[in-house]
Amino acid sequence: MASVTITNVWKYYGKTVAVKDLNITCNDGEFVSVLGPSGCGKSSTLRMLAGLEHISAGDIHFGDTRVNDLEPKDRDIAMVFENYALYPHKTVYENMANPLRLRGESEDLIKKRIAFAAEMLEIEHLLQRKPMELSGGQKQRTAIGRAIVREPKLFLFDEPIAHLDAKLRARMRGELKLMQRRLGTTMIYVTHDQLEAMSMADRIAVMHNGVLQQFGTPQDIYNHPVNEWVAGFVGEPPMNFIDCDIVDEGGKLHAVHSSFKVALTEGHAKLLNGALRDKSVRMGIRPDQISISVGSGSGVDGRIKLTEPLGGDTLVNVDLKGADQVLVKTNPDFSGAMDQACTLTFDTSRWHFFSKETGVAYF
Amino acid sequence: MASRDVVAYKTPLSRIWNIFTVVFIAFYLLWTLLPLMIMFFSSFKDLLAAFQLPPVGAFSKIGLFFDFTPTTKHYYNLFVNLGFSTYFANSIISAGGSAIISVVLGSMCAYALSRYEFRGKPDLFFWIISTRMAPVVAVLVPLYAIFRGADLIGTKAGLILAFTTFNLPFAIWILKGFFDNVPYAIEEASMVDGSTRFQAFRAILPLVAPGIGAFVILCILFAWNDFLFSSIIGSGGAKTLPPATVQLVQPQNIQWGSIMAAGVVTTLPMMFLGLLIRRYLVTGLTMGAVRE
Amino acid sequence: MVSTGSGNAVSTAHDGERYVEGARVIEHMPASLNAVPPSRYYLWLMAPALIVLAAISIYPFFWLIWMSLQNVGAGPEVEFVGLKNFIKLWSDDKFWMGWILLFKYSFFCMFFEITIGVFLAVVLNGHRFENILITIFLMPMMMAPAIAGLVWYYLFNSTFGWYHWLFQSLGILGETSIIGSTETAMAGIVMVDIWQWTPLITLITLAGMKRVPRDQLEANMVDGASAIRNFIAITLPNIYPFLLIAIMLRFMDNFRFIDVIMRLTGGGPAEVTKVLPVYLFDVSFVYFKLGRGSAIALTLLIVTIIFGKLLVKVFESPASKRIDQGN
Repeated sequence: MASVTITNVWKYYGKTVAVKDLNITCNDGEFVSVLGPSGCGKSSTLRMLAGLEHISAGDIHFGDTRVNDLEPKDRDIAMVFENYALYPHKTVYENMANPLRLRGESEDLIKKRIAFAAEMLEIEHLLQRKPMELSGGQKQRTAIGRAIVREPKLFLFDEPIAHLDAKLRARMRGELKLMQRRLGTTMIYVTHDQLEAMSMADRIAVMHNGVLQQFGTPQDIYNHPVNEWVAGFVGEPPMNFIDCDIVDEGGKLHAVHSSFKVALTEGHAKLLNGALRDKSVRMGIRPDQISISVGSGSGVDGRIKLTEPLGGDTLVNVDLKGADQVLVKTNPDFSGAMDQACTLTFDTSRWHFFSKETGVAYF
Repeated sequence: MASRDVVAYKTPLSRIWNIFTVVFIAFYLLWTLLPLMIMFFSSFKDLLAAFQLPPVGAFSKIGLFFDFTPTTKHYYNLFVNLGFSTYFANSIISAGGSAIISVVLGSMCAYALSRYEFRGKPDLFFWIISTRMAPVVAVLVPLYAIFRGADLIGTKAGLILAFTTFNLPFAIWILKGFFDNVPYAIEEASMVDGSTRFQAFRAILPLVAPGIGAFVILCILFAWNDFLFSSIIGSGGAKTLPPATVQLVQPQNIQWGSIMAAGVVTTLPMMFLGLLIRRYLVTGLTMGAVRE
Repeated sequence: MVSTGSGNAVSTAHDGERYVEGARVIEHMPASLNAVPPSRYYLWLMAPALIVLAAISIYPFFWLIWMSLQNVGAGPEVEFVGLKNFIKLWSDDKFWMGWILLFKYSFFCMFFEITIGVFLAVVLNGHRFENILITIFLMPMMMAPAIAGLVWYYLFNSTFGWYHWLFQSLGILGETSIIGSTETAMAGIVMVDIWQWTPLITLITLAGMKRVPRDQLEANMVDGASAIRNFIAITLPNIYPFLLIAIMLRFMDNFRFIDVIMRLTGGGPAEVTKVLPVYLFDVSFVYFKLGRGSAIALTLLIVTIIFGKLLVKVFESPASKRIDQGN
């Protein structure tokens, strides 16, 4: 087991830069997820950790060992690939035995380790099958089995459950998290699915265009996104963004839009006062931080455009005055009809303000 | 592939079509098999029987073809008097040797070409394949000069090398296609599992083994059936079956019985091998462009 | 740097750090790059094959160029003559005739092989005995061309050849064998090529037909197309790239192999079947005019390489990418 330190790491593919000046430290035994859309550099990062790609600049340390020049086989890692990468001509047992065989372990130990892993992954009955005879979920379990029999210092998972169906994915999320806690091995888990990252990881590194945007706990990332891009990327349905002006009225700051004027909490006002560069800002608020009621009242006036009942929740598209639109997540009992007038209330303790110019969060 | 055919409906036209297809297939079957059959039967015919024909136009006497007492004396003659056992062995050794060399060197090179990106790769690749496309007659003279300089004329080693001129580029070209189809992730998994890069290469060999086996056979087939190289480069000590058979054609005395027998001896093993790799035949004969 | 938690309450843009569409971007360059470890691994894997290939292709090529500038007689003396061999070729009727005959021969072979081969594929596709039949049809392809030439020489023989007897009985031919007459000799050698190689076209076409998207055929049928229209509108465009590859491969083979022609006619009668490679063989191996032979060989090589370039283009065209996807 080991901590992982990524220091000023760059990855070039010819002239294109996949990873720029990356710094991440993950602690021993920690579950770190690298999250981002495709092409953000997350897979390149993982492959550099595995030793499958040359590190163009910077250093990677496992514990105190600099691993830049170590071959994959010498890094004591185990990796699970997006497409499983099982040896098609070998049985499940032989697939799992392979890393141990290559290290010259005894048959007894191999048997013991495989029995342990197979039991944990519930694939004991599949050991004599070949990958072709397995379902996607079973292949994926085999690939994980091959990784855990090694008892490596570090797990590297590259979108391992991206190709499973939604139900199985949900189940695997729980199982993987449990497995990592049980084994206590440091894990770096690459995914484009924020649900996976949020639900499993101790900390999440959000990447975009090769640049680390934010590194923090899931709560941190969700509640305190450092910039507009992170705020928009994390959270489903995505955050609403509305441009508004900050106006000082009688010593109190207000967010002013053509359809509302809402006072800022004192704490937020204090934070904003020193930092504000321009009176125009971008307000961000998540759909579940807005409450909605039918009819006009004291609050933000709007008009219902569309309602989408999802069973557990109902999504309501509301037109504000001006060209803006907000999405509201409310309870399933909501009974507004199209074109009805409605009133919105913002949870001002949890909204966000971003610089209109840079997108950096004020708080 | 259970129902790959689009549903068809019966119409008067389709009935005529069906009858027509049966006739066409029957005719094509005859066209394909007749020369082979005549070769086969003639190899068992006495010289006189082999030269017997019905009078022109007498279609009713066509049965004359089967009117003979089978004899195996041509085969006996081939192997006992004409030294065909040596030629047969030469064929096996030189074709097999070149096939194995081509596929071993070829798979290493093809693997590297498949996995390694570098500048000028398309040009290198084209150069490789153009050596295969070169007309045999065009390169025969310079090769003869080189081989004579190296004292390789009439030796099996020389012939193996000569066959390698067309088998090696073929093997590289076609095996690259095979390696391209093996996901790189499997080697990566193997390297992470703890193997060296060369061990990782060996780890994926079983995946392409059926293809490699088939192309060993196809290389044997190409070399076995070659005539020009083996008659010029192999002349003397390393004559293979096709030039040996052709040599039975002598101005005064064409030994048709023995020629037909030699034809059977040369052709049958290849037909058997062709059958064996039937699945890879299209891929092989189209240089990998078409897969079945 | 990036805020790593709620502790840093307000984070504004630092100097030198820029934001695009709300996301942090980095515009500076790394201070230094790590050295790339030299990797000769792949080079070592390629080396043996490339060395063998170079020895048997580059050297002969330059040898050909060198020789084409010499006058080599029957004796040992060799004389440098510059481009004289090529200039002589320009006014050599047999040389030009060789090219014309080569293209004529290739054209006839292609025409009949494609027509019969595609038709055979249409008939066989989905046939109950498709697999057995195609396996039987493939048999001539396994035969050495030299042997095929001999067998057909026997069949065409004017005194005891069964095919000659058949032609005579049908009133197609007289006493002279098909390969003995200047009018029919070309037909004779084309016939053998058809016999051996039509099945390849069939095989390739069949492989193409299996790839024709079923939904396209069905949609067209629902739109009211007949089977024939379906073939022309959907199947043919789909197998076109396959056919193109087949044509080019056969074309190049006609350049490469002369075994059948050598056995049947040797270029005769009256040189009506003396295609260029046969002429080249005569010049080099019968008259031993190695200088002139090298010049001819070079022209043949260059045309082949141009064809090869075209072929590779077809291989790599989007149309044949479609071929691979089916796999």
